[in-house]
Amino acid sequence: LLEFATKQIAEVPGLRIIGTAKEKTSVLSFVLENIHPHDIGTFLDFEGVAIRTGHHCTQPLMQRYNIPATSRASFGMYNTKDEVDVLVNGLKKIIEVFG
Amino acid sequence: MNQELKELYQQVILDHNKSPRNFRKMENATQFAEGYNPLCGDHIDVYLLIEDGIVKDVSFKGEGCAISKASASLMTSILKGKTREEAEKLFEKFHDLVTGKLGDNPDIDELGKLAVFAGVQEFPVRVKCASLAWHTMMNALHNKDEKVSTE
Repeated sequence: LLEFATKQIAEVPGLRIIGTAKEKTSVLSFVLENIHPHDIGTFLDFEGVAIRTGHHCTQPLMQRYNIPATSRASFGMYNTKDEVDVLVNGLKKIIEVFG
Repeated sequence: MNQELKELYQQVILDHNKSPRNFRKMENATQFAEGYNPLCGDHIDVYLLIEDGIVKDVSFKGEGCAISKASASLMTSILKGKTREEAEKLFEKFHDLVTGKLGDNPDIDELGKLAVFAGVQEFPVRVKCASLAWHTMMNALHNKDEKVSTE
């Protein structure tokens, strides 16, 4: 599912994935150009998608990447491809509103 | 877009987020304060130029979400030309608005453009985003040295 989501989400314009290790747990951190993660979080809430946003308790890492914060989706056993689509479509909608 | 979300992200707010007004460092500022929200990473510097008890100029620098940026931007536009007392009164009004103390019928006349932040009261976690700039401005006004923190 992480592989599927990584591929789908990479197609969102202006989106950059943070953390691309070959072997990683099923979390997907990303930033969207000119849109703050907290706005993304609030917006996605209304699409029915819960993500985590902010520093994730890693301020030094955020400084290292020179970003204020990231958005992060985590996938579990129970998540489906359809839900990944909802996430990706939600992100596209945000760009329309804030763009 | 969902109605509640529309109330939060009104067009005026989206516009100020995209092109914030008075977004600059002020070299001749008489007052300055720094504000920080460690939980979300919002960071703002507020500059004031006060002469004869009147806010001659006000500007800000920093980064944050759409709500905090738009709030800072609108604050700077509305404070110019106000007296210290008027600025303090507006702070209180604004604070009451975003924390829902004004109820359903806020006094639009007094709040002016700030009324667009009425939607924030439905989002308790975003109240801090909206009020950071104002708290920082109050510290600048009183020349308090300590950094404003929302935590």
